[in-house]
Amino acid sequence: MVAVSQGFKTDLLGAIPSLRAFAVSLTQNSDKADDLVQETLVKAWDKHESFQPGTNLKAWLFTILRNEFYSQMRKRGREVQDSDGIMTARLAVHPAQHGQLDLKDFRGALEQLPEDQREAIILIGASGFSYEEAAEICGCAVGTIKSRVSRARTRLQDILKISGEDEYGPDAISAQVTGSPAT
Amino acid sequence: MTDMTKDILAGVAGRRRDGAGDALGSNSEIGRKLKQYYDELVSDDVPDRFAQLLSQLEQAEPAQKKD
Repeated sequence: MVAVSQGFKTDLLGAIPSLRAFAVSLTQNSDKADDLVQETLVKAWDKHESFQPGTNLKAWLFTILRNEFYSQMRKRGREVQDSDGIMTARLAVHPAQHGQLDLKDFRGALEQLPEDQREAIILIGASGFSYEEAAEICGCAVGTIKSRVSRARTRLQDILKISGEDEYGPDAISAQVTGSPAT
Repeated sequence: MTDMTKDILAGVAGRRRDGAGDALGSNSEIGRKLKQYYDELVSDDVPDRFAQLLSQLEQAEPAQKKD
């Protein structure tokens, strides 16, 4: 077995903040998230030889973390949420006015998304991955990621009562024009 | 172009010039909140346990050569 290089260890350390953010996004619980990150680091360490230097370490680690998350969920006997099987969630959220949307409300809305949609919109909209990278991390087709992101965005807009995507708040017409999800 | 603008472009749109990339861009309320939510998580202080864990893994590594 090849020893783990110092550089690899340093890179792992550097990736921890991102891993924790992704883990919290998935689990919605900071204790579970840190356990998940710990598992991820141990797994990454054990299989460091399968990482190809020069490729995207963050994507590699996110893949491990995500696999670990879903395998833990299966072990706990929890059905992985299926986006189509979920009832439209309702939460009393005040309509966003003049682009002032409370971060707490946003967090609450994000929590209501099914896992597959939440991870897709996080990977694309926040973690800075391309659709191709996100598809690789999730082990699915690029088109699947696109549709999940689109559905996640639509659902967030519904929950948060944002009808359009205009910076200064939508008027009736722009809401009609921009309200439909990107495909 | 300011560095901040570059960061935003790199982070949000980047290589994605198609549909949803823009839909989650900095002009979108959802896109901005998403970044804000995530950036807050990323900037959270990392507990020591992770650095300790890596040190432990490192020490455990040359198990056969331990004296």
